[in-house]
Order: sequence, then structure tokens, then C-alpha cells
Amino acid sequence: MEFSKIVKRIEFTILALILVLGVIFSLTTAKFLSRDNLTNIMYQLSSLIISAIGMTMVIITGGIDVSIGSTLGLSAVVAGMLLTNNTSLLLVILAVLGVGGLVGAINGVIIGYGGIPAIISTLGTMNLVRAFLFQVLKGRWITGLPESVRFIGIGRFLGLPISIWIAIVLLAAFSYFLRFRPSGRYIYAIGNNIEAARISGVNPNKIQFIVYFFAGILAGFCGLIYTARTGIVQTNTGMGFEMDVIAAVVLGGTSTMGGRGTILGTLLGAVLVGIIKNGMVLLNVPALGEGLVIGLLILISVIIDIIRSQGD
Amino acid sequence: MENILECKDIVKSFGGVQALKKVAFSLRQGEVHALVGENGAGKSTLIKIISGALKLDRGEIFYLGKRIDISSPRVAQEIGISTVYQDPMVYPELSVLENIFLGREILDKRGNIDWKKEEERAKELFASLEISPSFLNEPIGKLTLGLQQLALIAKALVYESRVIIFDEPTAILTEHETERLFNIISRLKERNVSIIYISHRLEEIFTIADYVTVLRDGEVVGNFPISEITRDKIVELMAGRLLTEEIEHIEVKRENPILSVKNLTKKGRFYGISFDAYPGEILCFYGLVGSGRSDVAQALFGIQRYDSGEIIYQGNRLAISSPDEAMDLNIAYLPEDRKAQGLFLPLSVAYNISISILKNILKLFSFVDVEKEREVSQRYVSELSIKAPSIDTKVYSLSGGTQQKVVLAKWLAVNPKLLILDEPTHGIDVATKSEVHQIISKLARQGVSVIVISSEIPEVIKLADRVIVMHEGRITGVFKNREITQENLIRAATGERVSPGLD
Repeated sequence: MEFSKIVKRIEFTILALILVLGVIFSLTTAKFLSRDNLTNIMYQLSSLIISAIGMTMVIITGGIDVSIGSTLGLSAVVAGMLLTNNTSLLLVILAVLGVGGLVGAINGVIIGYGGIPAIISTLGTMNLVRAFLFQVLKGRWITGLPESVRFIGIGRFLGLPISIWIAIVLLAAFSYFLRFRPSGRYIYAIGNNIEAARISGVNPNKIQFIVYFFAGILAGFCGLIYTARTGIVQTNTGMGFEMDVIAAVVLGGTSTMGGRGTILGTLLGAVLVGIIKNGMVLLNVPALGEGLVIGLLILISVIIDIIRSQGD
Repeated sequence: MENILECKDIVKSFGGVQALKKVAFSLRQGEVHALVGENGAGKSTLIKIISGALKLDRGEIFYLGKRIDISSPRVAQEIGISTVYQDPMVYPELSVLENIFLGREILDKRGNIDWKKEEERAKELFASLEISPSFLNEPIGKLTLGLQQLALIAKALVYESRVIIFDEPTAILTEHETERLFNIISRLKERNVSIIYISHRLEEIFTIADYVTVLRDGEVVGNFPISEITRDKIVELMAGRLLTEEIEHIEVKRENPILSVKNLTKKGRFYGISFDAYPGEILCFYGLVGSGRSDVAQALFGIQRYDSGEIIYQGNRLAISSPDEAMDLNIAYLPEDRKAQGLFLPLSVAYNISISILKNILKLFSFVDVEKEREVSQRYVSELSIKAPSIDTKVYSLSGGTQQKVVLAKWLAVNPKLLILDEPTHGIDVATKSEVHQIISKLARQGVSVIVISSEIPEVIKLADRVIVMHEGRITGVFKNREITQENLIRAATGERVSPGLD
């Protein structure tokens, strides 16, 4: 590809933004470039990236999933309870994938087959799952995880966190899925023109089901990573996580109107969100300010997206 | 009588197609002026320009002697030009009263809506039209289409319209409602309101119109006082001379039908449809828009359900519920609206062509064989001479005709044995149109059974080995060889059962 074309791509803009922010944060804070801080960013990024992969597919179909924060919470609780009861890790992995997949499947059925708008359905499941967590935990915390399982959250391999390696494998796998599997291609088709897709022999209900199912499974897996990393699970675990994920996806150039988006863009969007959140913590910006910045970023990228679509 | 509205040299093009070529049209005060022509003759384009829904490219419009620029439907309504469309455009959950006054509410001193005054005014209006105002406070969506239409006429009077355009108003009405509408139109005439009346039912025109203008291929081919013209003369003017260029027709052996449709019925759409289609035959469906042709085609392709009847395909009962099942049986359907139903505009030519066959070009672990995908796309691009810079070009940047060929390529990739084409040359330039006709002819010669739905008589006459004509959901004519004439087609399409082939 020619250089001028690369510059015009949205990915290039995000990369430039990441570098600029990186320079600003390393000049204004002492710790930003330290090995500890960079590792810390990566620990947090892994969950963001993995969940954002699912969200990317959902948003490409023209949908949204605001329930993944709750799904992560639910799976974190399940993981915490099982691990403190010394259940084998393999079973725990199956269990978190199962509960995540269950919430995703419920969303998929309601949206894909019931035809209910995605925002309404996932708002519903988001609150239902959260209410369920309150009922189960009743304000308790789960702590005292066996040290042997925490490697999933904090272990390292070849200098990088294991969770980041998992994220990298999933990034590659889903990039490949979107480009080379018929179902992956159909995700773009129904986001672009659901009527034409149906007439071209695509089953939109099935594809919609698949994307919410995947989004649920991936968020479920992040619940395990979260539990293993922090060692603590509480009722509000994962609350607001969906906003970070949506911000990452939208910043990464995926169109909220559907039909356009890449896994690579989402990776960069997630890195951008991760760096901003980390930088603000280092700069002692209060939590409220963090919400303000994320909210603004989402709005700005949506506006850019609309302008870009008009250009077509 | 003086002219209230005068259009001079109106020119309008869509892409490369000239929809109106220097059209002149004048409307006198207090007259009912019928506008007739085949589908695509330019009637809708003309009234859309007059009602502000479309902008003209060149030409002038004079209203009450002054030159005006009708830039939007709102402007048209404000100056007194209202349109009553075929499907009443209403807010179904709002009451009749709210619908009538929406956008022109009567306000009291404090700026709130004065419901009492609105109701009084509405009652007056309905009384002047001699209609009982009993349904004013009901949600308009609960009323019959006929009553909804009346409410819209009342709305036009709220705006003190001096010109009211009726676009096929009787298509949705019962006989009784039609009679009532004609009464109202006479009353409007007495109030010196001018009316532009579009209808495909020629008998009606002779009942209520004072004047008739005939359009063909975007040109006015005649205007007459109704007393000086006959029905046959209008039909002749509408059809005109036909395209002389021919395609090669081969002798079709009508022995083993690939498709037999028996008594297919879907309430409100089509009734008792029976016909056979044969390999190597081009079978055309002619009829007016809304006559149910597309609905039948979509039922064959699994997009629409039907209530009763039977479809036999290649000797077996066809039981499909979705397009992908139809495609597995080598049935393909090119939809009418290529932008809304055919294309993924922001995506590439290759993507658009290959979407329907991805399942068939898988390699190891069921991943798409991208090499093969490009090869197939490339093959169809050269075979149909699709004029795109490359197969990676985004489809939205191509011309209408080229886009249509891309959609066609997608369906040819399925290797159809039964190919249904819904308005395959709608809105594309003449040269590409002729190419598409050649492609269709070639496919038939290769033994494909081709069904072409078309609203253009010249196209039907050029392509068809056999024509089925539909009118309001029913088959009103079947014609072969020499019976395929413009007169026969128009007669059957307007509801006369003239066919020699009907039993």
C-alpha cells in the first residue's frame, strides 16, 4: 500500500494519537514509562481488548451490547466461588465460558430471533444479571483465591503478561474469522444492508445470535482474568466496563451505524482508552473526570464517523 | 378559463436517464386534468416536481401567473398545492383532527392548540364535502384507507389548496368509496379547485376528467379535451412505437416444466395464480406496479409466505422458507430495488458478487478460499463486461447500469436453473439495457428458465416468449408469440380479461 493511503486510514490517526498522548504522559508524570506501569497497563488492557473483540462484531452488525459489564461481573463471581472451593481450573474455564455464553445466547435470541432492539434487550439483561449478583453476594466480597490460579491474571511469559498473550491469540483468530469465514463476512453484510443480505441467502437471525453469543463468551472469559488478577470479587465488579469497551471499539473506527470496522482498529482503540485511563490516574484526575473524558471521546468519534460516512 | 399552473420545458434526469424531456403542462382553474402514461413515462416525476418532492434540472413553473421555485413539499403546500398519494401518508396513532391540522394548528392567544376551533373548522370542512364528521377524534390508523384519504383531502382544504394532485386515488378504494370520491371531486371543482388526476383506469378518466395529457418516455405525446378522444386512441398514444432492435428467439419446447405454480394465493397480494415455466423460455410478467407480480416472485424465492396453493419445482413440491434454501436449488432472484435489496454499497465488487456463493468456495477448515473468490468475481466481471476499475472498487462509485450488472453477476454465480429478474433494466441507460437483454437471451438459449418482471411494454415485447399479465393480484391475460401486442397487454393490465390463453 502507498504511504499516502496508509496516512489516510483511521488506524494511522489513532496510532498518532497514542504516540502523542504517550509523549505527553511521559513528560508530565514520572512513572508513566516505568516498567511497572507499562506492565500494569497491559494487565488492564487484556480484558478490555478481549471484550472489545466481541463488541466490535456486535457493533458491525449495527447493534450494541451494554450487558457485558454485568456478564463480566457474573462470571467473576462464578469464578471466584468455584476457585475458593478448589474446583479444577479447567472446570472453572468451562464454567465462565458457559455463563458468559448463556447471557450472550439470551441476548442473541431476544435480538436475533425476537427482533427486539439491541439497546433495549441488553439494558434488560444488564440489569437482570446485576440484580442477580446483588441477590447472590448480598454485599459480601469473595477473597482468598488459591495462589496457583492467579497466573492467568498476573503471570508472565516471555516478559509479557499471559493475559496479553491470550488477547493476542484471540485478536489474530477473530481477525481471521471476520475475513475468511463466511459467517464473518456475513457480519459486515447485515450491518451494511440487512435486506440485501437476506435476499443474498444470508440468515440475519443466526448471524445476530452468533455475535451476541461470542460477545457474551468473551466477556465471560474476562471475568476469570479479572478475578485472577485482582483476587477480589464484589457486587459491583465490572460496572461501567461496557463504556470503556464501547469507547475502545468506536474510537477504533467501527461505525456505530454498522457495516464498517476492523479488529486492528479496535486493538488500537483499546490501547488508546487504556493509556488515557492510566494517564489520568497518574495525574490524579478524579474518577468523575475520567467518565467525562471517555464520554467526550465516544461523542467525538461518533461525530467523526458520521462525517466520514457522508464523505461516501 | 385562465391557467392556474403552467409548466414549461421541464427537464429532469436521474443519472444518465432522462425522465422528462422538455415537458409542457398547463392546468386551468377549476378543471380536472387527467395525466396518463405507462409506468416510467414520467407522470410521477412530473407531479413530484410540481409538489416539491423533486427538483427540476431545467424549465420553469408559473403559478397564478408568477414564476415560482417549489423547493420543498412544505413550500408547495403553503402556496396551495397539495398531493393525495396512493397510500395515504398519515400518522396512524394520531387522531383524524390532529392529522388534519398537523403543521397548521389553530392556536389560541397563549399559543396553545385551540382544539374547539379546530374541531369546528373540521366539521365545517366535512360538511362542505357532505361527509359525516363522526370519526374526528379516532386514531386515523383505525379508519379504512378510503376514510384516511378523505381526511387528507380535508387537510388540503385547511391549507386552502387551489391545486390538488391525486396520485392513483382509486387504487385502494372500493366501488362505493370511488363513487364518493368522485362526488367530492365534483364539489371541489365547484369551489374552483383545480385537480391533477393520475390513474391507470381509463374508464374513470372518461367519467370525471375534463382534459387529458398523455405522457410517453418522458415526453408529452398529446393533450385533448376528454370529449375529443377515445379510449383506443389513448392506449395507442401510451404505447407508441416499439424498440425495433430484436433478440434471438429460439423455439421453446413446452414439455417438461421446471416450475409449476398451482392456485397460489396470498390474501391481499395475489389470488389463484397458476402457471408453468419451461427451461429455455423467457416468461415475462407484465402489469402495473402493485399488481402482485413481485409478490409472486418473492413467494417462489422464499422471501414471502403464501396462504394456499402449491409450487412444483423440478418435479417436487417446493417447500422453502428462506432465500438460501432457494439458492441451494439453483433458483435466483434479482430484486427490484438494487440499492435497498441488492447491493452492499460501501463494499467491493468482489464482495458483492461472491456473497451468495461463499459457502461453495471453502477450503480447509471451512475458510473462504479467497483466491477462488477473486477468480470467480474476475470471471463475471469480464463475462458481463462490468466497467469497474478493479474488483476491489467500492460499488457506490459505479454507475447505475454497472451496479445492476454486479447484482446480476451475483445471481449468475449461483448457476441458476430458474432465474427470476424483477425489473432488471429499471433506471439504467439504454446501452446497458440492451446488453442486459442480450445476457438474458443468452441464458435462455443455454437452457435457463428465465422469468422477467417488467413494467415496460417495449421490453416485454422484445424479450418475451410468453407473457403473463396481472391486474390487482390476479392473472388477467396469457399471451404467446403474435398475441403479444401493446394493446393486449395494456387491456389486460387495466383489468379487462381479454386473453385467448385464459381458461
